[in-house]
Amino acid sequence: MTLMTIITKMAEGFEKTCAIFFLTLLFAIPLGMIIALLRGSKFKPFSGFAKVYISVLRGTPLMLQLIAVTYGPYYLFGISVSRNKLIPVVVAFAINYAAYFAEIYRSGIESMPVGQYEAAQVLGYSRAQTFFKIILPQVIRRILPSITNEIVTLVKDTSLAFTVSYQEMFTIGKQIANSQTSFVPFIVAGAFYYVFNVLVSFVMGRVEKRMSYYKI
Amino acid sequence: MSILKMSNIQKSFGDNHVLKDISLHVDKGEVVSIIGPSGSGKSTLLRCATFLETIDAGTISYDDRNAAEMKNGKIAYVKNLNDFRHVFGLVFQNFNLFPHFSVLKNMMDAPVSVLKRDKNEVREECLTLLRKMGLEDKADSYPCELSGGQQQRVSIVRALAMNPEILFFDEPTSALDPELTGEVLKVIKQLAEEKMTMVIVTHEMAFARAVSDRVIFMDKGVIVEEGHPEEVFGNTRSERMKQFLQNYNKD
Amino acid sequence: MSKKIIAIILAAAIGLACLCLAGCGAKQGAETTAPEESTSENAVPMRFVMGIDAEYPPFSEIGADGKYTGFDIDVCKAVCEYLGWEFDIFPVNWDNKLIQLDSHECDCVWSGMTILDSMKEAGYVISRPYFDNTQVILVKDGSDIASSADLAGKTVAVMLGTSGEKLLNEELQDLTASFKELTTCDNFLQCFTELDGNAVDAVIVDKPVAEKYASENKGFKVLDENLGEEQYGIAFRSGDEAICAQVESALDALVADGTYAKIAENYPDIQGNLIFLN
Repeated sequence: MTLMTIITKMAEGFEKTCAIFFLTLLFAIPLGMIIALLRGSKFKPFSGFAKVYISVLRGTPLMLQLIAVTYGPYYLFGISVSRNKLIPVVVAFAINYAAYFAEIYRSGIESMPVGQYEAAQVLGYSRAQTFFKIILPQVIRRILPSITNEIVTLVKDTSLAFTVSYQEMFTIGKQIANSQTSFVPFIVAGAFYYVFNVLVSFVMGRVEKRMSYYKI
Repeated sequence: MSILKMSNIQKSFGDNHVLKDISLHVDKGEVVSIIGPSGSGKSTLLRCATFLETIDAGTISYDDRNAAEMKNGKIAYVKNLNDFRHVFGLVFQNFNLFPHFSVLKNMMDAPVSVLKRDKNEVREECLTLLRKMGLEDKADSYPCELSGGQQQRVSIVRALAMNPEILFFDEPTSALDPELTGEVLKVIKQLAEEKMTMVIVTHEMAFARAVSDRVIFMDKGVIVEEGHPEEVFGNTRSERMKQFLQNYNKD
Repeated sequence: MSKKIIAIILAAAIGLACLCLAGCGAKQGAETTAPEESTSENAVPMRFVMGIDAEYPPFSEIGADGKYTGFDIDVCKAVCEYLGWEFDIFPVNWDNKLIQLDSHECDCVWSGMTILDSMKEAGYVISRPYFDNTQVILVKDGSDIASSADLAGKTVAVMLGTSGEKLLNEELQDLTASFKELTTCDNFLQCFTELDGNAVDAVIVDKPVAEKYASENKGFKVLDENLGEEQYGIAFRSGDEAICAQVESALDALVADGTYAKIAENYPDIQGNLIFLN
């Protein structure tokens, strides 16, 4: 197999890797915020639910969650497994990453000085205005480095989709490697991931720079 | 006419009885200073007046409208406290400016997004205020770029931008280096001359004496002395206040 | 909590629920097109999805052109053609192959799969065996290892989840106990690389895999000793006896008309072990 064929074949899988990556972020970032808000809620059932959610999803391997989300519905309710594997894969990744994002948000929200809330309250801001105008922008600024960390991890974690036979780049790379007894696909995979992460770091670096116009 | 009236206020934190049946009224155009040792409850009183703390018993009213009163032996706050929040402004010890907003945005945001006022009109007003305070060149700066004194002056104009009827100051110079307190006190003095109604919790005795129409000395959750500054400082009756002033003068 | 925040949370929750429903909807949609429903003869041709391990040459692998290829695939294609079925491939995750078979991701597992009693006990329908597989020892040329007896005190590699691993941990426990160390690798390539790089002294592996590797790479030899005999078969879901019978009769026909032998000619490494031809 020529290097060109290997790269072409793996590039096809890379589209799926990107799909997992972007869709996971799209859903996990807001879902994590909801979990974080529930976690901080004074209403016990909400905060209790969020605590259990975070504990279970952080306490079990993502690989297991992928299998559970993909095949659980079939075993429990007899619902056939989706032919479009992207759906269960993204659901599993999103609920898993939401748990991590929720904890990052929480640390950010809890690090906010109480004076910011009080100043907003005295000025008459509603609770929603206080959260979205005053607190959230500062929280984002504070947690951005941790978020970047998670995003870089996500790029590499996408390879776990092989567990449920989603033909993303690394799954294909492994198949080629073992079929052709060649290490080249692994080198190609490494290059793909590295270049992707360099891009991610560059973009996040730009975002951080744009937000660092003030000191906390 | 009283702008603020607080009667028989009680407030405890656990077993700690911080305010014991305190009553206070502030008339329009009056400048009232509250002094007293730390832990005397003066900051708590201010925080109760601005709804940052809820009182356990008593009545709070602004412009003769009750914001909190006793109903069936229990304290009851009106539903929409925001109607009352527009009446007063509060200047914090630690400024509590919004660090991600520029100076102008710090001032303009609440009038525009809370009071729903016209943006351009608010901008003109805010720029005028900044000019008056000698801060016009700081409009586009961020709080982190300002000195402590400048930050506190900005937090004063932020409160003023809401056009409050009464302005509270919670130890406005305590977080500042001594050489920076002067510029803040000058601003407050200027406001007093313009007949702004103000309640100032402070440790600056000379300033309180010079600027106030009335001085209140608090200790251990009660008002010990109250009256014209010359009377309170010049003719101190209570032992506790004498002691306090003595300790204070030693520093 | 303010109404706005509640509204936002609700909206997001509904959005998430929609996502889940869409997922389930898609799953249900897939169910209606699942193969069993169309087994009645005069309906649209039945779609038969072959579950393969895409990392198992020469039975099933990715060929030089990047397409799935291999002996099992060629045979299955011929079977489908013979039966008039629509042929499709699903690369399974070998560790989860039975889960994936159960959940209708594929209709059989047909990929150099060792027949295990446990599969029959679990209710899976297993075809007649078609391949005699033996476990052999692969060493480097010039190695002093000539038989399993020489493995005492040596480091040996085996692939995780293969019948070789099972053999070493069950029937050949005593032999395993004589090793200095048993290394389990995630895939064959890793086993061979460990051997090539002198990290291990021998690899215990399926005979066809070992022979293909030794023939394509210089400096390796396969020892003659057979460590364990086992056979390959095709697994179907429980209740799919009829499909299994159809596949078996098609195989008989292909053997009879010589198609099977013709396919086997392209795979000289394994020809000698094909039960139907020997």
